[in-house]
Amino acid sequence: MKLKLPEEISSPQDLKAVIIEIRAYARWTAHADIKKRVHAKTRKHQSEQPELSPAASALLHAWGAANSLSVAGFDQLISSLERVIEHSPVLAITLAAPPSTGLKKTLVTWCRDNIAPNVLVTFQFNSTLLGGLVVRSGSHIFDWSFRRQILENRQHFPEVLRRV
Amino acid sequence: MKLSTFLYAFLIVDVFFMGALASVALRHAYAHFRPDRHDGEKSRKPYENGHLPPSVREHLLEAAQKNFQQVLNTSADELQKDLADSSERIKELMDKIGNEIVGNEVEFYKQQLQALRKQTTTDITGVQTELTAQQAEMKAKLDADIAVEKQQLVQLIDTKLADAVASFLVDSLQHNVDLGAQAPYLTAVLEEHKAELAKGVSGEA
Repeated sequence: MKLKLPEEISSPQDLKAVIIEIRAYARWTAHADIKKRVHAKTRKHQSEQPELSPAASALLHAWGAANSLSVAGFDQLISSLERVIEHSPVLAITLAAPPSTGLKKTLVTWCRDNIAPNVLVTFQFNSTLLGGLVVRSGSHIFDWSFRRQILENRQHFPEVLRRV
Repeated sequence: MKLSTFLYAFLIVDVFFMGALASVALRHAYAHFRPDRHDGEKSRKPYENGHLPPSVREHLLEAAQKNFQQVLNTSADELQKDLADSSERIKELMDKIGNEIVGNEVEFYKQQLQALRKQTTTDITGVQTELTAQQAEMKAKLDADIAVEKQQLVQLIDTKLADAVASFLVDSLQHNVDLGAQAPYLTAVLEEHKAELAKGVSGEA
């Protein structure tokens, strides 16, 4: 099955954190399965279920819909996620201000719809950009910031000043 | 005998005595005003023809001339000496008076000069004080005017600059940029450069 990352997971760091959560959850599931098999019902041997982040929950739900959530299934999921980290393109988007969660989701969705399905996006901010965005992909840098547009247009400033 | 008869007789006797006394008085008065010469005088004879002898006359004339000359020389010497003394005294007096007058005038001139200097100093001090006050007033007024004008210019520059920057931003960004909500603008920019971005990403991959 083709793995589709949820919107909440945008950057490689998010993905690594989710992998750690899923590993812990897989370990707990395996332990719980063993306990279940040996009928260990005493409260002393029961461990609490690790809490999952919304991103990890969404990913497990999506994965569990088509695959079994067995130990092998978890391993396969983790392998798939690690492959995503290794092979998916990574975009670094720099904005003029720290992006909100909504804006992050909007931009990640657009990138996965229009650039690549599992593209990973990291966000940074630099207030000197004034506005717009700078997108870096590997060695390519696409500067669509206000600062660049203003600087490109600076030779027209005296004309504008005269007009005023 | 009657009394009147006696009185007539007495008056007649009195008139007689009075006539006698009047004649005696006349004789004395005449002798007093026209006395007779004494005997010595009556015997002295005058010079013949009324003139002195020539030798006496020449001697007297020489003596008189000598005396006159001596008196004249003495008088001239005394006069010259007096004149010299007078001249010296007049000169000293003139010098003294001149010095006194000049001293007085110089003193008066000094006093006048001192008074004028004092007056001038007072006037200059007053003028300087007034000038300083006027300068301070003018400076304060000028500073206030400059501050007002500067404020107006700053406001004008601010307004013009704000207009210029706004116009420049509108011209530069060429979008209806909403600096508060960036999401539509950012997606629009990405959409506009989608092909370029996809090419860049695929090139990296």
